[in-house]
Amino acid sequence: MNAIEVKNLNFSYDGKPVIRDISFTLKEGEFAGVIGPNGAGKSTLLRLLSRILDIQQGEIIVQGQKIRELDRRSLARAIGFVPQETHFTLDFTVADIVLMGRYPYLRPFQAESVGDREIMEQALAEAEVAEFKNRPVNSLSSGERQRVVIARALCQQPKILLLDEPTSHLDLRHQTGIMNLLKKLNGQGISIVIVNHDLNLAALYCRRLILLDRGTIRSDGTPTELIDEKLLKEVYQSEVRVIRHPDHDLPQVLLK
Amino acid sequence: MSKTTLVVALLAVAVAAAIFIGPAALSADVLQIRLNRVILGIFAGGILGFCGAILQGLFNNPLVEPYTLGSASGAALGAALGIVTIGFLNPLFAFAGSLGVGLLVFVIARSHAGALQDRLILAGVIMSFLCSSLVMIIMVMSGRELYEILYLLMGYLGVIMNPGQRVIAIAILVLSLAIVIYLYRHHRELDILSQGAETASGLGVDTHRLSRNLFFATALLTGFVVSLVGAIGFVGLVIPHIAKRLFGPKHLRNLPASFILGAAFLLLADTLSRTITVYELPVGVVTSLIGVPFFIYLYSKR
Amino acid sequence: MTEVIFTLGAQDDLAGVTTYCDYPDAARKLPKVGDFSNPSLERIVGLKPDLVIVNLPEQNRIKTELEQYKIQVFVTEPESLADIYRDITNLGGRIGRQRAADSLVAYMRKRIRPTGRKPKSVYIELSPRPLITIGRNNFLNEMVGMAGGKNIFDDLVRPYPAVNQEEVIKRDPEIIIILHPEGIKDRIGWRKIEAIRNDRVYTDLNQDQLLRPGPRLVYGFQALEKLFE
Repeated sequence: MNAIEVKNLNFSYDGKPVIRDISFTLKEGEFAGVIGPNGAGKSTLLRLLSRILDIQQGEIIVQGQKIRELDRRSLARAIGFVPQETHFTLDFTVADIVLMGRYPYLRPFQAESVGDREIMEQALAEAEVAEFKNRPVNSLSSGERQRVVIARALCQQPKILLLDEPTSHLDLRHQTGIMNLLKKLNGQGISIVIVNHDLNLAALYCRRLILLDRGTIRSDGTPTELIDEKLLKEVYQSEVRVIRHPDHDLPQVLLK
Repeated sequence: MSKTTLVVALLAVAVAAAIFIGPAALSADVLQIRLNRVILGIFAGGILGFCGAILQGLFNNPLVEPYTLGSASGAALGAALGIVTIGFLNPLFAFAGSLGVGLLVFVIARSHAGALQDRLILAGVIMSFLCSSLVMIIMVMSGRELYEILYLLMGYLGVIMNPGQRVIAIAILVLSLAIVIYLYRHHRELDILSQGAETASGLGVDTHRLSRNLFFATALLTGFVVSLVGAIGFVGLVIPHIAKRLFGPKHLRNLPASFILGAAFLLLADTLSRTITVYELPVGVVTSLIGVPFFIYLYSKR
Repeated sequence: MTEVIFTLGAQDDLAGVTTYCDYPDAARKLPKVGDFSNPSLERIVGLKPDLVIVNLPEQNRIKTELEQYKIQVFVTEPESLADIYRDITNLGGRIGRQRAADSLVAYMRKRIRPTGRKPKSVYIELSPRPLITIGRNNFLNEMVGMAGGKNIFDDLVRPYPAVNQEEVIKRDPEIIIILHPEGIKDRIGWRKIEAIRNDRVYTDLNQDQLLRPGPRLVYGFQALEKLFE
């Protein structure tokens, strides 16, 4: 079964078209990166896939079911969304935050069960934030907070993870940490779509890249196919050099 | 002593004070009057504190309270109109005012773009000002009803009742408790909302429906409270902060805490308002007078 | 004061009144300048009056405005009976009806005087929500005292204080007078009050005869006298 099918998706903000007739299919277990210049519609696409925005025209099919026919909780059990930054107004502990990922599974007056807590502990361990379990979330660094949010998404036990610029505000160590975590999760069978500004990171980790330009898919394929000087110059309007990474058989972008 | 015990004990003390302190000797009749006051106080204080907490969670904004969103001012406007026109059936007017304004706020908010929550706050603040101005106009044009409107605006628990009115009050109380329980069911959603509307949507929360339902439920409750005891300000604003300080950010715990603390606070304020002077002070005056310095103290300790 | 003017026979000189002035009937036909609390400066000026009668403290604002426009103002501030008599006398002089005014005052003084009876305790209620009664600095309080009653709240200084219902219960009045349209039946906790036990609750007194500072106070006083017998 395909994880996500997108058919003829169109979306406008305030009358301005942001997504124009996009169609693609995400197979189970894929690790895809959505790249493209600012305003290309990458974040909007992710939000449409997780139903943070309601679709206007076209169809999105998640694990065989139309997104509009799924109730929100069911969708949240299938897709976990990790936003770029999370602002925690109330100072919950890490454990509290991650446990909220069980929300799609709980009835209103139902308390969290032992099973729910075990899933939470597991998620903490996977995201490597178990040591912070009882700390207030705002006492963590931004990299650690991002991992907490990923842990919460894991608690939803999703088959699909969508992440919007998960590494933008992080330093080098945390960037590679998060990407390696994602690679590990993908190895366990979770389909992943990330939006990333950083072409090099995307090229190294994503096995498939989708290049968006002004709301349409300009190109869709392997990193080797997409990271091409001519294509990038056309879409990003800047001159670049593409070289081969010394350790991996993958392209990397250098500014001219 | 655990914090929970402390808070419940505080309520018990407040109830005791309300029952045993007063100008007349405690007879069966006076006891009935005082019990009425206690029940009204617990109901009004508890609901105001609770609604304040719900609204602050719903809008992720620490300055929101039932007044901010127009429903309290709308209820006051309704009641003021009732006072200067018919002169009785004020509860019905108050209630109509609260819901009417709440509806208006909602419709205004919905017809514009942007996140529903932000628009609700904006529309609510605007309607709140409008209603206050209208009430001022009514006050200026009224003669002897001025007093009544003043007490309506500041709230007072010593409402004279006959048995028929008491039955209605109890019915309203029971209905309100049902709504409170309905609101409490959403404690997790409120926890989640504090991380942003996107996070909430991503976790499966229908933020639009939630905003709409919680908004109207609190408007209903506010209408009930104002119709019975007038518009008591400040409780809904301050009590949730205290509850959060004491019991943490999880709404599972701070919602009931807000209720109990709100009830205790209002009862204590009411006892004070009866004993400071021979004249009956509106309780809203006392809640502001003791609430403000206490709030400042609480925040300066940070 | 409108009623006073009619009694003094000067009604033809009366150019305009507030909407509150509804007695006698002829007064209703006069041009209206607005309501008691908020009369309209424009309308008043439009009538080109030689004299405007103002009530303090409610009409303080209009008084200041009129003085700014250099319009003649007569101020009445009737807290006590003595104040009322004084104002009638002075007004009479101002409008050239001194004799009629003196005669009216003499008439009122003759009718409103102490009866020398043993006073019965009385609670007078002006509003139920909140409970508003009359205090000491109030001509109604004076009249009650002279007619044979003792206002249970005459220890409170303010003319129209708001009080706690428990105070009424504690002070246990023998007679209750209700001056608003809402009834008093079945009030929770009031059963044992003497006035209620003995069914001495009176709701049909004419408010205007008791609360308006004018000649009809005489009728109000007579009603009170009968009540306290």
